Formats: sequence, C-alpha cells, structure tokens
Amino acid sequence: MSSTAPEPTSVVLALSGVSKRFGTVQALRDVSVECRAGEIHAVVGENGSGKSTLLGVASGYLTPDEGVVEIGGHRLHTGNAAEALRFGLGMAYQTYAQVLDLSVAENLYLGAPSSERPGFHRMDAWATEWLHGFGLDVNVSARMGSLPLGERQLVEVAKALLSKPKVLLLDEPTTALGPGEVERLHRLVLDRAAAGVGVVYVSHRLPEVLEIAGRVTVLRDGVSQGTHGAAGMSEEDLVSLMIGRPLQLAFPSRNGGLSDDVLLTVGGFRGRRFGPVDLTLRRGEILGVAGAEGNGQVELLRCLAGVERGTGSVVCDGTKVNLRSPTGALRAGIVLLSGDRAREALFPVLGVRSNSTIQVLKRLSRAGVLRRGKERDLVGGMVKRLKVRTPSIEQPVRFLSGGNQQKVALTRPFLRDVRVILAEEPTQGVDVRSRFDIYEALREKADQGVSMIVKSSDPLELAGLCDRVVVVSRGRIIDEIPASELSERRIIEAIVRSGGRVAADREQPVPAPAEDAVDG
Amino acid sequence: MVETTATATPLPARRIPGWLPLTLMTILMLGIGAYAAAQSSDFLSSYNLSTLLGSSGALPLALVAMGQTHALMVRGFDVSVGALMTLTVVVGSFILTGSETWYELAFGSLALVAIGLFVGLVNAGLIRKVGLPSIIATLAALSVMQGISLQLRNVPGGEISADVMDALNTSIGFMPVAFIGVVVLAVVGDLWLYGTTSGLTARAVGLDESSSRRLGAPAERIHWRAFVLCSLMATIAGFFLAAQVGIGDARVGGGYALTSIAAAVLGGASLLGGKGSFIGAVVGALFLSLIINILPLPNILPGFLLEWSGALGYISIGVLTLLALILYQGPELWVRVRTAWRDIRPSRPSEGENLA
Repeated sequence: MSSTAPEPTSVVLALSGVSKRFGTVQALRDVSVECRAGEIHAVVGENGSGKSTLLGVASGYLTPDEGVVEIGGHRLHTGNAAEALRFGLGMAYQTYAQVLDLSVAENLYLGAPSSERPGFHRMDAWATEWLHGFGLDVNVSARMGSLPLGERQLVEVAKALLSKPKVLLLDEPTTALGPGEVERLHRLVLDRAAAGVGVVYVSHRLPEVLEIAGRVTVLRDGVSQGTHGAAGMSEEDLVSLMIGRPLQLAFPSRNGGLSDDVLLTVGGFRGRRFGPVDLTLRRGEILGVAGAEGNGQVELLRCLAGVERGTGSVVCDGTKVNLRSPTGALRAGIVLLSGDRAREALFPVLGVRSNSTIQVLKRLSRAGVLRRGKERDLVGGMVKRLKVRTPSIEQPVRFLSGGNQQKVALTRPFLRDVRVILAEEPTQGVDVRSRFDIYEALREKADQGVSMIVKSSDPLELAGLCDRVVVVSRGRIIDEIPASELSERRIIEAIVRSGGRVAADREQPVPAPAEDAVDG
Repeated sequence: MVETTATATPLPARRIPGWLPLTLMTILMLGIGAYAAAQSSDFLSSYNLSTLLGSSGALPLALVAMGQTHALMVRGFDVSVGALMTLTVVVGSFILTGSETWYELAFGSLALVAIGLFVGLVNAGLIRKVGLPSIIATLAALSVMQGISLQLRNVPGGEISADVMDALNTSIGFMPVAFIGVVVLAVVGDLWLYGTTSGLTARAVGLDESSSRRLGAPAERIHWRAFVLCSLMATIAGFFLAAQVGIGDARVGGGYALTSIAAAVLGGASLLGGKGSFIGAVVGALFLSLIINILPLPNILPGFLLEWSGALGYISIGVLTLLALILYQGPELWVRVRTAWRDIRPSRPSEGENLA
C-alpha cells in the first residue's frame, strides 16, 4: 500500500488531542488520529487500551473531555450521533446498534440519514434492495433479534454504509464471522476504499489488520504510539508497540516444584459462549486465562462456579462436582471472586466485618447466636494479614478503594476451606500498591495447596502471577503457555494470532500436557 | 457450524400480533354488552349509553389512558395523572365558576393547561435530569399535588360553570361529541406511531434506548415529550372529570393512576416500553368503563352480591390487568419457562440444542 505517498490527500476524519476520562480511568490521553480519503486506517491495541472509546468519540456517541473531532472538515460540536451522521460518518458497532424488537428494515430505516430514506411505507422494498447490493438476502420484515450473529454483523456494516459516508468506522467487525464471511467483508471494505471512502478499522486480529490496512495507529493505555505505514510492519513490530508498561510490577516468586497431584479435572465442559473445554489443574497451581474480551473466558469461570449453567464433567479432589447451583461448587470448595465487585461479590453498604464473615457465620455462632468477640478477632487478624487499609472493621465497604474492596472479598476464601479459587479480573480498578498485596495473598494461598484459575485482561499480570496460561478464542483453548515461556509478549502474540483463520481452522482443543506449545 | 455464538443468541420470542388484544377485547365487550342488554333493559337506554361513553364513564379514562400510553411507550409510568386530574378539578372550581365571563373562562382554561405543562416538565426533569425512576418521581408529584388539592378544597365546594359543563357534555343522540373527538385523536395517534418516522423513532427509544441513540434518535427529547404529553392529556381528562362532578372535590381523581395503566395495558401496551397503541388504550378504557357501568344494573349480579357491585368493579380491574399482562407477555413467559426447563434438565451437549 502506498498510503505514505507524499501527495496531499484530503483528510476525512481528524481527531486532535482527544482525552476522555471515565471516573478514575483515563481512557484516552491526548490522542490524535487522521484518516484520509481512500485509505484503510487500522487502530490496534490491547484490551482496554482505548480503542472503543476512540471510536465512541469519533462517532459523536461520547463527548470528549478535551480535543476536537472533525469529520470531512466539519467540527463535531457535541456528543451527537445524528450530527456525525450528517457530516458523513458511518459506524458499525462491535456490540451492534440494533433494536432487536424492531424489524431489520426498521433498523436500517432509523439508521439512514433522512435524505436517504424512502417513503415510510416503501421501507421493506428499499431495505431488501440495499442488503441485496451486499449479497445479503435477509427477510427484512423479520425481527432483528431473530437473525444469527454473523448476519447481524454484516447488516451492521451495510447499515453504516447507508449514509454513503465519507468515513466508515468498523469496530471489531469480524468477531462473529467465519473465514468466508471475513473474506467477503474485506472485499467490501476494499471496494469502498477504492471508491474514496476513508475506513477506520479497529481490530485485535493483527493478521487481518496487516492484510487490509494501509496505515496503523497503535494505542497503549489510552496513549497513541504513533501512526505507521503497514507495508513495512510485521506482527512482531506491532506487538512491540502494543506492550510495555510505564510501571513494572514486582510479583511474588513462584515456588519451584509444583506437585504432579491433580486437583481439578474439567472434561468436555460447555456453556454459554464457550466449549468444549478440557483442563487439568494441579494442586497449588495458578492457571491464567487470557484472550480478547468476550471470547467466553468469563462464562467459563462462572460456569465452573455454578453461577451459570454449564455441561460436562468437573471433578475436584476425586469427587464429581454438582454445578447446578453455586452451593454445589461451594461445597466442593470452589469459590468465585467475581469481577463485578459492587454488585456480585460484596454488600456495599455493609461493613468490612459483615462482608468477610458472611459465609462462615455458622462456624462463628453458638446455638444460633453470633459470637461477636470471636468474629471481631478473626476479621481483625484478616485485615492485618491482607493489609486492608480501612479506618475500622465496621467501615461500609463502598467507602473503601477498589483495591481494599478486593482484599475484603479475598478474606472470604481465607476464612473457609477452599480448594479452588476462580478469580475474575482480580486487580481491575485496583491501585498499584494493593495489587502487590493481592498477588502476594493469592500466591500465599497457592503455596498452601489451593489451586486457582485467574481470568485477566492484563497479560503482564498473567505473565507475572501464573504458573501456566491458557489462551481462549471463540470459547476454546487455542494455546497453552508453560511457566518457562511466560512473558507479556508471548501472551499478546498468542491472543492476536488467534484472530481470523488461524483459530477457525483449529478444530481440536489443545490437550492438557503443558509442554506441547502449539503456536511455538 | 457449531460456532459457540449460536448458543449466545437468545431464544426467539414469537410476538403477539398487535391486533390480538383489540380483537379479544372487542369480542369480550360485545359479549358482555349482549348479556347485559338481555338481562337488563336499562343497559341500552340512551341515558345509560351516554353515561357509559361520556364524562361520567369512558371519556376521561380514555384520555388519560392515551396519555399513560405515551409514558409507557418510553418505558415509564406516570402515577401522578390522577392527582393532576384532581388538581385540575379543584383549581377549576375556583377559576371556572358560573360568575366568570367567557374570556375569563378561556384564560382560566389556559391556566389549567399551563399547570399540566408545568407538572409534565417537572416529572420529566426529575426522571431525566435527576435520574429518578419514573414511578418514584411521579409518586412524589402525586403526593405534592394531592396535598395542594386537599388544602384548597378541604371539603367539596365551589362550582364549575354550567356553560362549560354543557359545552363539554354536548351530545348527538347518545353519542358525546367529545368521545368522537377522542376516537379521532386515537386513530391519528396510531397513524403517527406506526406510520411515520417520528413514531418509529419513539418506539425504538422505548424498546432500546442506547441502541436507538446510536442510530441517531433524540432519546432525551422523546422522553421529555412523552411525560409532557402524558400530563397534558391528564389535564384535558381533568376538564371532563370536572364536567362530571361539577364541584371542587379533592378526592375525585385518585383512582385514575391505576385505571389508566390498566386500560393502556389491556390495549396492548407493554410495561417494558415500545409497544402499545392509542386505539388500544381507548378500547381498554371502554372495556373497564363497561364493567363498572353494568355491575350496578338490575339483574346483572345475583342478589347477595348487589352491595358488592362497587367493589367488584375495582376487583375486576385488578384481575383483568393481571390477566392481560400474563396473556400478552405469554410468549416471553413461555420462552422463560423453556429456558428454565433446559437448565434444570440434565442436558447433554447435543447439536440440536445449539440450533434451538
């Protein structure tokens, strides 16, 4: 691609100095991106690097805190999707902007600018014709929600093109597509670009990106790492730009020899968005689960905890686990540390004491009456041991920082008999100091023979904390990284390579033995 | 083929066709009407029919139910409508009396409409700006307005101008002119809701606010409009309520919060937003008024139930509302039952399940 050609091309989308903050998270910091007419401009970055926020700002759905968005030379004034549409912007959302209870035609009609709309009662014929132009033969009077995901994704792209946009934004447009459909989408996108449309293509799948894009902008932690011509880039180059953290963390050391004693065996396990999954977990092992967001990792953990329904066999310490309800999992000693602390893990208005002893009240009571003194001693000890920073053990946990909340949630597995801890994003929204305390606490527990499965979107964390990491794509384990090979880069490479055809062609889940690294 | 994505798709729910509630209720009404006519000759008398359709019967309820449909359309409730109707009657008993000249009456009516507008704006502001759930915001408005009404008319008093009452109650034969107006309004409303871009946008916002915003729908404005229209319709209903009672009474409109929701729901409105129709709301209002109308007629109820006739009206409204909700949301309920059953059953990873 000769997008680096010196002659000036007209810029169809320009973001200059854009910053956006959500609460305490700085999602974007002073990011500038330019997309020219006729080019395919990819934006890549890890999970949470700010890609989706960038698109939200560009499409007028989010209002930036600072900075300017210009579409086709017009400055976008407010967080107003309709205005962006008028200026010539088309957007295909990763999560689809579709009203499921309206028909396909009604959705297209609403998404079209008024100049492109036919008469209200000619809607169905118009929508059929438009979709037919993309080789999509869909019953347009059917409910949008009744379409399979792959078709909905293609309809979403077709909808974005309704406004005959000067610039087209695609957010992870291939997540639900099979290889053939990806090919089809790419032909369509190349065709539009040839017609002079500027395309912004956001994806975590580097093979796809390098195949189709002219230039690539890399985001890392909300900061742009520059825009580069794709021609000279390799996947390795991109990965190098994506990783690296201003602050390196200290991790507790792994204990050398893990026993070969298997604690948890998961066989042919399936659930919503994942499966079949086979796993073995050794006693005292910390297993990491990596992957691009939304590939079934969360559901896997929740099914193992009995919070959601999964099918397949789960054997813990030689006994089959009844996973019909969380109670069965708890009885087997499997506990979930939910990533949704405020709603699922903790009772925000209750104090530290009540939150940490809620599962063991029976043990602390005599004849049904709680022994306050004993409870206080126990919690006080825990607070000291896990370094929970709180003015008192009666402090409602909603007034604690994210890190201290997580530590309170962590006191529970310390107070009861557990065999397996399933931790979902254990350090999300946690400050650096507390992170280290949490890693230490988890490792301490592991050294006592408790096994863990840690789902995290932070590869650095997985590389530092875990004994072994499995990589999940489209609900299946597609790679397994033993301790000897663990690094942030190795994990990211496995995730980004999993995109597109590589993963789709692999039918078999990776067998348990750790040493056969598949992507080697 | 067995992509995991297939299992993530929610089970398709068969939709209740929009005409079903209306057809059902019309048939039921005809049946009940025929039964009432056979049992009691009073039912078909022109006096009774005009009572049924006019301001003592379906008219105010139909108006406020149409207003409530606006609120339900955006997934909200407005429980303050009854209190607003009462306030309209009470304030009207001071400024729409027989001693006023015609232009004073016109000005007074505008003042009442302005009150309705103000209440609608306050409700919408509490819901959209402060972020309160609609039921809480309008409950607070209800309480405030009820208090004002009670202070203004501690005991019933004042009188509504006979000219105003006569004008509102004008009839051709047994048919009140205003009722014809209501039917026309409902037809126009449904043509708007189901036949124009603006109506489609309103339904889209009710069904899924965030997606419709991304499609460019002005969700904020549509919510404000819905609650303002709801209050304005309640004010107009208040005029007809005034024409019915003719006196400033602070206890007169309380029941309309429930019955307006009931009528709208019977007409097919969903509590989850985005569904319903204005014609349905009017038919629902007629249906409820019919039941309340016939119960006290001779020979309808067995003797020992006669003194229950008033209470039975309310009881049947509650039961009918529940029935309507269960019936119209039947397909969704059925899917939920099926999903629950699938979860309970010791399932095998069969391929067929993915296609379900």
